[in-house]
Amino acid sequence: MTIQARSSKKRKQHGQDESADTFNEAVNLEMLSDEEDREDVESDNGEVDEFPEIDAGSDESGEEDETYESEEDTGASEEGSSSSSHEQLHIFPEAKTIVSDITGQEKRVYPEIEPDYDSDSSTEDTPNRVGDIPMHWYDDLPHVGYDMDGKRVLKPARGDELDRFLKTVEDPNSWTSAFDKKAQADKPLTAEELDIIRRLYANENPDANYDPYEPLTEWFTGPGKEEIMPLTAAPEPKRRWIPSKWEHKKVMKIVRAIRQGRILPNRTKNTSQPLFYSIWGDSSSSNAPPLPAPKPSLPTNSESYNPPEEYLPTEEDKRQWEETDPEDREHDYLPQKYSALRLVPGYERFIKDRFNRQLDLYMAPRVQRVKLNIDPNSLIPKLPSPSSLKPFPTYKSLQVVHTHIARCISVSPDGAWVVSGDEGGVVRLWEVNVGREVRKWKFDGKIGSIEWCPRTDVSYFVVGTDDMLHFLIPPNLPASILQLTQSTLAPSTLPPPPETPSPVKWSTPSSNTWTDETAVLTIHLPPSSGLPTQITWHRRGDYLASVSIGGSQGAVWIHQVSRRHSQAPFKKVRGKVQLVLFHPMKPCFFVATQQYVRMYNLSEQKLLKTLQPGIKWISSMDVHPSGDHLIVGGYDRKLCWFDLELSDKPYKVLRYHTRAIRSLHFHPTYPLFASSSDDGAIQIFHSRVYNDLMTDPLIVPLKILRGHEITKGLGVLQVKWCSRHPWLVSGGADGAVNVWCS
Amino acid sequence: MGRLRQKGNAGAAKAYVTRSIAIKKLQCSLADFRRLCIFPREPKSRKRANKGSSAPTSFYYAKDIAYLAHEPVLKKLREHKAFAKKLSRALGRGEWSSAKSLEENKPVYKLDHIIKERYPTFIDALRDIDDALCMIFLFASLPSNPRIPPSLVENCSRLAAEWQLYIMRSHSLRKAFLSIKGVYYQAEVMDQTITWLVPYQFTQNIPVDVDVRVMLTFLELYQTLLGFVFFKLYTDVGLVYPPPLDAKRDESAAGVGAYLLQEASQKSDKPAVTKVKVVEVEGRQVSGRDVYKTIKNIASSSSNADDMDVDAPTVENNFGETEEEFIVQPSKSDAEMASSLPTLQSLKALPQSINTSLFAPYTFWLSRETSRPIFEFLVRSFGGKIGWPASSGGGSPFDESDDSITHVIIDRPVIEQPSETDEQRERRLKRRYVQPQWVVDSINAGKILLEAPYAQGQTLPPHLSPFGEYEGAYDPAALANEEAAADEDESEIEGEDVEIEDADLENEVLQAVATAATEDSATLRAAELAAEAAGIDPSTFEKEVAKSRRKSKKSSSNGVDEAETDMNKMMMSNKQKKLYEKVKHSQDKRNLERSKLEEKKKNLHKQKRKLGQTS
Repeated sequence: MTIQARSSKKRKQHGQDESADTFNEAVNLEMLSDEEDREDVESDNGEVDEFPEIDAGSDESGEEDETYESEEDTGASEEGSSSSSHEQLHIFPEAKTIVSDITGQEKRVYPEIEPDYDSDSSTEDTPNRVGDIPMHWYDDLPHVGYDMDGKRVLKPARGDELDRFLKTVEDPNSWTSAFDKKAQADKPLTAEELDIIRRLYANENPDANYDPYEPLTEWFTGPGKEEIMPLTAAPEPKRRWIPSKWEHKKVMKIVRAIRQGRILPNRTKNTSQPLFYSIWGDSSSSNAPPLPAPKPSLPTNSESYNPPEEYLPTEEDKRQWEETDPEDREHDYLPQKYSALRLVPGYERFIKDRFNRQLDLYMAPRVQRVKLNIDPNSLIPKLPSPSSLKPFPTYKSLQVVHTHIARCISVSPDGAWVVSGDEGGVVRLWEVNVGREVRKWKFDGKIGSIEWCPRTDVSYFVVGTDDMLHFLIPPNLPASILQLTQSTLAPSTLPPPPETPSPVKWSTPSSNTWTDETAVLTIHLPPSSGLPTQITWHRRGDYLASVSIGGSQGAVWIHQVSRRHSQAPFKKVRGKVQLVLFHPMKPCFFVATQQYVRMYNLSEQKLLKTLQPGIKWISSMDVHPSGDHLIVGGYDRKLCWFDLELSDKPYKVLRYHTRAIRSLHFHPTYPLFASSSDDGAIQIFHSRVYNDLMTDPLIVPLKILRGHEITKGLGVLQVKWCSRHPWLVSGGADGAVNVWCS
Repeated sequence: MGRLRQKGNAGAAKAYVTRSIAIKKLQCSLADFRRLCIFPREPKSRKRANKGSSAPTSFYYAKDIAYLAHEPVLKKLREHKAFAKKLSRALGRGEWSSAKSLEENKPVYKLDHIIKERYPTFIDALRDIDDALCMIFLFASLPSNPRIPPSLVENCSRLAAEWQLYIMRSHSLRKAFLSIKGVYYQAEVMDQTITWLVPYQFTQNIPVDVDVRVMLTFLELYQTLLGFVFFKLYTDVGLVYPPPLDAKRDESAAGVGAYLLQEASQKSDKPAVTKVKVVEVEGRQVSGRDVYKTIKNIASSSSNADDMDVDAPTVENNFGETEEEFIVQPSKSDAEMASSLPTLQSLKALPQSINTSLFAPYTFWLSRETSRPIFEFLVRSFGGKIGWPASSGGGSPFDESDDSITHVIIDRPVIEQPSETDEQRERRLKRRYVQPQWVVDSINAGKILLEAPYAQGQTLPPHLSPFGEYEGAYDPAALANEEAAADEDESEIEGEDVEIEDADLENEVLQAVATAATEDSATLRAAELAAEAAGIDPSTFEKEVAKSRRKSKKSSSNGVDEAETDMNKMMMSNKQKKLYEKVKHSQDKRNLERSKLEEKKKNLHKQKRKLGQTS
């Protein structure tokens, strides 16, 4: 074999010789010559029939033939069993019948099988010799490998997809062919391969010859094959045949225990202890028991099987009951009436009810709650009856009607006259008692505010229009008062102008042009400062402060009439100033921004206090005549009462109006104050303030006055008291100015 | 500066644990945790207990959980888990003998200590048996299925029968109510009011959304609880617990009658102890009752006196009889007890506020269609004798032909019986035929009601709840009394209406005058004159004046008051305002409910009258 391995044609081995080794060794040399011959045979495969003589002359003789025959037999049987298609394909070489030279009889001769690698038809001579390598290495190259001579094997032309498809259509064998990577071309599958594929599809063993039901050959077991001889010669140990001492001891232990009665075999359940006994006989445990569950509510008349008829639900009740969620129902049943007890059916929700109760029992935390059983009326504070706190305004006595929204009103210090201004620019002067209009002024633009000078020796009022303050003198004044008034407003010798020029101009028309219709004195506020929404006087009547909506810091001005001089008290104010007020007693000044009220000392130029009413947007404010209390109203309906001596938080917060509070006013002499709101109502309060610090102020609501109509969402815009009577003047968005009398 | 405190290490965050943490700590399953029946607690601040989160969780007290960790039941549950594993393994391997021995040594837990923990005193336990009784009675009537073994149902029905026997013997039933859900009973045992609900005898189906495991867990506890409570109750009155069951009677469906009440002294191994106990308890009970009675006597006016006099002799006469009714084996200790406790006897003989031997003079016969368990219990609780046909179960003390029968409880329409023998007719005329509601209404009223409205075939009067409702609720009975007066009033008004229609003008004048007249005497005089001029009868005028005066007064005073209070409400603080609104809301709701019922009643009445007039 070693010689053969070294030979150049080592690949051509004799497959059949392997089974018969001895023979192979003997004919080794001859075989070489044979193989040389066969080279030729291989080159022209078709002329198989010319060489049988050489075959016959070889020494391989009948033995080989027999094997051939046996192979043929199996092949024939195979063919018969599998299919006839094999015959058509002619995969096996056809046998020829010739006359034997030796015996002179006919015999079948098959073409010689080349015992080399390629003798199998499936592995036909492949030109590519690269071996078992990943073929994608050649993807980028024009060739697919090298042939036996080391020459490149070029890739065959493959054509595009369409060509390939057409080929599959045209070629009837295309469905039995597969792509061969080595050749880079479609190769038809052989019949065996197809058979293997078929078997794999059918879940059969791919090897056709495999027999899964081969009879078992017993080699070592069975009768006659027993091993007789022992494996070792060691003697049998004692423990195999002497009973264990330790086991015996253990068993004896149990036996003794049984004898002594410590173990009772087949003991029955101990029924000696009774199931129930006096459990509460001995001392009770120290632990506090859990809270007892509340008892379920007892059934009412409606649950009766025969309730009074009025308990029966109407159709609507029934529908409503069915529509509501079972959890939201007030009762978990619908009352029903049965004429006799025998007709009452079983209650189908019985188990569900009990189950829900049990869920309550173990899932709900048990808490002891105190049930409030109080008369709700006892919560209402006991206040003195309003009838005992008379006088206060109770009814509307007269009405003066403006064509526009009556935004501002003012009552003269003697309480006999009222001036009212509207958004049309009309100012009316009329009497409180009868409502007779004495005079009417007309200005351009809206009237923002009106305020009567609190001095009693002179008589005039200030009207605020756009960027201007007009000082007007009412008609029909006594001569002395008129003269004093005129001299106050337009003195013959004007005071010296201030050193620093002020943006506010004071102007007086010359005395010969004075009429009742025009203003005696006009203050021109800085341009674009807008409408003065508030004018407030100091109690002496010399200073007045004005607040304008426009402008930035210059919104607040304090004007001194005697010196004809205006000054801005604040260089810088945090927030937008809404309102200002003079303290009635002290030299103090209240400034309300949107959320805070600040109290300044004017003489010391110092901030005293910041009040925090907790209102989103302050709308109105007034100070009690005693100067110790302040009320602040807001657009968010709140009214705060501050005790200035105490805290900067409100002493009391009231919320009773349904809409924004618009105006507040304390009566100068009576213990009353009023608030007006956008809901069209005016609320009168009794507000008694005590001198000692111990007693809290008494606030009693007295009366709600209704009579104004709400127009464009606005109600009563301003309320003012008459100084000498408990009478109230109110101006509303409906244009009416009402006088309310006691 | 003090030490910085870490959040969640002290206070509520530490004292309360959530359920999942509790389960983790106890190392048991959720199902087992549920079986431990521990109550969640409500922390003062949920947020603080939940470490800042406001998610809805149930909290348990950490100390409760720590205590539970040593719970014997929990240990047994764990053992049972191991046992179940072993058993299933043995069964899986087919090791039958080891499986059998495992089964024999199955861990069984007892709930005795839990009863003792939950109810340190007997009164605590007695107060809490309402739910237990409801469940027992429910399960006694359930059909058994794989989840509910027959032994459980049997035990429940035994407990139910024991309770009923005790109530019947101690005459402690007070009220009963036939509702659409079932029958409510209320008894007073040792000054504790116990109410329980028994479903009507129909097969109950367990709905799918009900977790039977939860119910069975409760039932386990309740069975133990009731066992101990009954033991105490029975031994306190000198009876043997558990009462022996007469198997023969039980087979004939005798129900309650299948159990025999035995005096403890007969068997008595420990007579002294029980007797002393009885005396003590009875003595206390009596003293309490005594006080109550004295108060009642003082409170009751002399008008009741004759009523009580009537009651007293009947009770005394029938007392012995009723006692015998329940003692199956006549006792010899009775006399002894009586002699040792003369005060007790005399006190018992005194008239009671609730007549517990209401039916003592009567003998009842139950018709076939009435429910025997309900009416047997009711009648016997109030001292009556009752019999029933064999179709309702065995154990009837007499049969239908018994001459002593005074009442027949019957629940079917009247049917003419043409083929009636003289004897039957005589018997029928001698007896009173009443509908079942009569029994219950009589019990609730505390006296024997007239039989006529409840006679067979009659439309029954409404059956009202004896438990009452909240204060100020709609009372149908009260309204019925008022009705008569209202009727007259209404008829008058209607009559007037007819008149007025004739004289429209006259009426107008009259009203105008009358309203004007309310102001003062001068105008009244003037008005009177005007009325005379218009030709109006002076009596009518006066009536009208009075009416309008009342009206004006009411409206004016009300109006002023309301306005004032409305204004005073302004001065309430926000908190008070909210509370006020809340209380007012509930009040309004009740009032609305009441007024709705009254309105309905009126409408019904009107309709009825209209029908009456047309027909």
